[in-house]
Amino acid sequence: MKTNNKPKITLFYCINAFMESAPVFEGCSIKTIKMACSSMTKDIFLLKAFEAGADAVLVFACPEKQCRYVEGGIRARKRIEWTKHLLDETGIDGRRLAIFNTDIKDPKAAGKIIRETIELINELGPNPAA
Amino acid sequence: MIVGEQKPIKEIMESVAPYKRVLILGCGTCVKTCFAGGEDEVEVLASALRLAFKTKKQRSIEIEELTIERQCENEFIQEAAAGIGRNDVVLSLACGAGVQAMAERFPAAPVLPGVNTTFIGIQDRPGIFSERCSGCGDCGLARFGGICPVTRCSKKLLNGPCGGSQNGKCEVDPSIDCAWHLIIERLTELGQLDNLKTYIPPKNWQTSTSGGPRKLVREDQII
Ligand code: SF4
Ligand code: SF4
Repeated sequence: MKTNNKPKITLFYCINAFMESAPVFEGCSIKTIKMACSSMTKDIFLLKAFEAGADAVLVFACPEKQCRYVEGGIRARKRIEWTKHLLDETGIDGRRLAIFNTDIKDPKAAGKIIRETIELINELGPNPAA
Repeated sequence: MIVGEQKPIKEIMESVAPYKRVLILGCGTCVKTCFAGGEDEVEVLASALRLAFKTKKQRSIEIEELTIERQCENEFIQEAAAGIGRNDVVLSLACGAGVQAMAERFPAAPVLPGVNTTFIGIQDRPGIFSERCSGCGDCGLARFGGICPVTRCSKKLLNGPCGGSQNGKCEVDPSIDCAWHLIIERLTELGQLDNLKTYIPPKNWQTSTSGGPRKLVREDQII
């Protein structure tokens, strides 16, 4: 059962892509998961976030070609694409999951992504499996 | 190894629809390596099915997850007995042999396939698998430098290329390496090109599936 009506977003972020203290979460209820690299996201973690009630799940990876593990961001992007296809198959809608390359020094850009995600949730409605 | 891929969620949902309690049973050998039915895939499929049933506002589904080392061998199958007893159906993520082994061992339990078994092959590199053997029952790899024309030549030619090969690729599909190009390269490297002077008569397919289901008997292993 929902405890409030704010859109629920779960954010997986790479420590080199985003700073949690950034004031960007207005208008939503957020859960954050900090990762050493965006490639630590896996299909099962993303699906479990939806099982736990998220209306949308975001992954913030570091800017392209700046991954300290070289291909972490590429791996993350491929896993997100795969999981989006699973979400489409389940009827959740793959658009509820997205990955962005964000710069830790540019919280405004992160804020814009959050606002756009809130708009998307308003358009799609709450997580149909919640 | 046996290569397969998981069936679409929609098809799996339809097959488990009549049941309330489902055991998703993974296999920790071939299908694990090709990302179709190991422990990770069992976990993901369980989560996806729970989400799908809730989304479609169908009744809820109870899912138990288990992965055993091999579903095609009796000595490992027993580990699944308790889980099978607790559930209405087994959704097996093993290859077709594993699914049938489970069905034989537990005749009272419905066993459904969750994987499309595709071929005997190898992993070229992570995420890419290709067919290598059709299980013809009369292996001729010794003559062909270890490259199987029965499986890898699109026309199954046994006495040399068809003449349509271009730049090492098969005329049927340029994404396929011409098996005969590979065979000739390899035999040249091995100094065994003379192998091709021996005419190979039409293949006897009786050793393959055209003779009905096959059986292998090792008398010395039977007690
Ligand atoms: S010749 Fe027959 S047994 Fe040998 S690799 Fe080819 S299909 Fe398999
Ligand atoms: S091009 Fe090569 S692989 Fe393709 S059918 Fe001809 S001989 Fe076989």
